[in-house]
Amino acid sequence: MKKIKLLLCIMLGVCLIFGGCDININLNGGDTSTVSNTVSNTEGGYTVDNIPDFVEDAFVEINNNVPYFTEKDYTTKSFEQYGDLDSLGRCTIAYACVAQDTMPTDKRGSISNVKPSGWQTVKYDNVDGKYLYNRCHLIGWQLTAENANKSNLITGTRYLNIEGMLPFENMVADYVKETNNHVLYRVTPIFDGDNLVARGVEMEGYSVEDNGAGISFNIYAYNVQPDIEIDYATGESWLSGTAKPTAEKITYILNTNNHKFHLESCSVAKTISDKNKEVFTGTREEVIAKGYEPCGKCKP
Amino acid sequence: MIIAVCVDDRMGMLFNHRRQSRDKFVIDDLMNMAENVKINGFSEELFEDYQDRIEIDEEFLENAENEDVCFVENVDLEPYADKIDKVILYFWNRHYPSSLKFNVDLSDYNFIEETEFQGNSHEKITREVYEK
Repeated sequence: MKKIKLLLCIMLGVCLIFGGCDININLNGGDTSTVSNTVSNTEGGYTVDNIPDFVEDAFVEINNNVPYFTEKDYTTKSFEQYGDLDSLGRCTIAYACVAQDTMPTDKRGSISNVKPSGWQTVKYDNVDGKYLYNRCHLIGWQLTAENANKSNLITGTRYLNIEGMLPFENMVADYVKETNNHVLYRVTPIFDGDNLVARGVEMEGYSVEDNGAGISFNIYAYNVQPDIEIDYATGESWLSGTAKPTAEKITYILNTNNHKFHLESCSVAKTISDKNKEVFTGTREEVIAKGYEPCGKCKP
Repeated sequence: MIIAVCVDDRMGMLFNHRRQSRDKFVIDDLMNMAENVKINGFSEELFEDYQDRIEIDEEFLENAENEDVCFVENVDLEPYADKIDKVILYFWNRHYPSSLKFNVDLSDYNFIEETEFQGNSHEKITREVYEK
């Protein structure tokens, strides 16, 4: 099977520190001391470079479905931790010990003010609900009740959200509700280089009190949408079987201070001080890839 | 024999050797209908409140007789299809990952009834009954 040539941008390296608690993105099957740019399990021979191209299943199993948690991670004290956005504004990791006390008690709030990296509002008739992209919670709302937390929301396809991630969230939520046990739950978005849209997410779950008898999984869910092509660098998309829209080179005015970009004719652009102003000629795709967001007024 | 099985929206039963979901009220509902239930060891923890009304047997499907009620979670049912006279299906009305599916062809059966009830942790559970 053809391999995805993922040059993984592992967001946090091997270990993140959250308020004194070690979060291990274990890239080497138990050896947390070695930094690597591929996810691998030396015993199982698994590497993310070997993740097959998406065909028809929304996810593939990683490491024989065994999560990379170690005994020192096992706790029955609930917590939630969300990694900082990286320099490109991308989510890094979300990790929690899910229990009944992390689950929602109020109604779900709005998340529409969050624009995750690579966000585009685009509709297709062949997508359930029309919208290609959802603001996908890394840790689902039903598990930790996070609403507009930008460190927990990525640009994900409807397919990733509903077919890839939701089934695992449902399984964990039901288990916690029925047993009152705790589940270690970690979701790591996987980006290819400087792409703004993740190629997929790794999801790990492990039920603590029964040593994984109830919940144990480690999977990679594809951030794809059947019959739609996606440029993961920018989030641009088009129907399969049609040509990618050609990008026109345009002269934009960049505000280097707030990282917004404008059309030359934009009245807001004319108010930018010289020290914060830069002229850039290129495609919209290129300017977004530089980390700039479109002006809300001229909508370039 | 009579089998009782829980399934999700895609007729899944099990994922990675673990049940997709559970709900105390499903077990209560089944025990309201059946005097005794045969299970294998995998399901024992679900029947803690009914210890005196279950029979645990790792070959329960092979050994089941006509009127026996078997609660099945982790066994491929296809080899037993000829033996199954009645099917009680509990739908979670949710979607979970699955690696084992319910694979008895229900077109060989007559639909008898459908009942909905609220679960302990599920908004709506649907019970459907089919008979040969």
